[in-house]
Amino acid sequence: MDVDDAATAALLLAAAGMVALRGGGMLLAGTLRPDHPFIRWAASVSHAVLAAFVTLAVIAPAGALASLPWPARLLGLLAGMAAYAASGGRMLPSLGAGLAVLLAARALL
Amino acid sequence: MGSASFLSGMRPGLVMALGAPAIAMGATFLAFGAAVREAGLGLPWALGAALLIYGMPGQLLLLQFVAPSAAGGGGVAPAVLGAVAANARFLPMAVALTPWLRGRGGEWARFLALPFIAITPWAAAMPVLPGLAAEARLPWFLGFALMSWSLAGLATAAGHALMPLLDPAALAALLFANPLYFALLLAAGMGAPSSRRAVLGGALAAPVALLLPPAWALLGAGLLGGTVAFLLGRGGRG
Repeated sequence: MDVDDAATAALLLAAAGMVALRGGGMLLAGTLRPDHPFIRWAASVSHAVLAAFVTLAVIAPAGALASLPWPARLLGLLAGMAAYAASGGRMLPSLGAGLAVLLAARALL
Repeated sequence: MGSASFLSGMRPGLVMALGAPAIAMGATFLAFGAAVREAGLGLPWALGAALLIYGMPGQLLLLQFVAPSAAGGGGVAPAVLGAVAANARFLPMAVALTPWLRGRGGEWARFLALPFIAITPWAAAMPVLPGLAAEARLPWFLGFALMSWSLAGLATAAGHALMPLLDPAALAALLFANPLYFALLLAAGMGAPSSRRAVLGGALAAPVALLLPPAWALLGAGLLGGTVAFLLGRGGRG
């Protein structure tokens, strides 16, 4: 199997794995109400995964994100959150403010 | 619900997906498209990974293992297992989302949402769906999800095409749009005590992820932090 064939095979098998994860979750939850303890546990785990993802992106990122200095990542996040609070929860300006501060801090550090 | 009203019911979600989510996803998938080309793989592979995997940690892990430049030439089994493990959060996310997609359509209509269950549509939908009428929830989700998914594909193609023009620092900044957007989404949902506990639990458990193999890191931290937060909530009520 050459490299391109292996990459295609891996992609198709991984895509089948994604269908199994998503479909498995839908089948598991199919008969349960939103306030069922199992559903609330799954929501809690999903929120926690998301929070861990954000935390790791700031404190210990992998790949290309690691090339940004950590103070720039932290300042970008804090600026985004501050803009979110100041703007009464408007997403787009908050996202823009966070990225602008990140880029400015990267240029200065 | 007729097909015309189903389509018009998709519009609010579709419009919402064109705001901040479009920028966050567009930036991230643009960077992914460029990374795929840099690794020596073609546009069809980039689009397949973006649209069929549709979860960035799994996409990046797959790319890392199968790229022609990968150490040792990569390998199919570790690539597949790594990508599935990295995106294993889809399972609890699908569990949490599915009860909200139950409308008056057939019992199987909700499976239309299956390919689109990923962080961005999930995190955008969870605060919105409980406030909608039952029959409006699936159209809203599909409107949001189809627009996000299409933008992800377009951004991936653009990133693949523009790779020679992008420097690594610019790519890194683009990748940061994603966690920043997720942080804002989490902030938006902090009104509910259960969400606050789960977010705090996940953030505090994040260092545990550094002790785990990369493919299991996120799910491990989420399982620990989310389960502790859930149990604390039950104890507090009881």
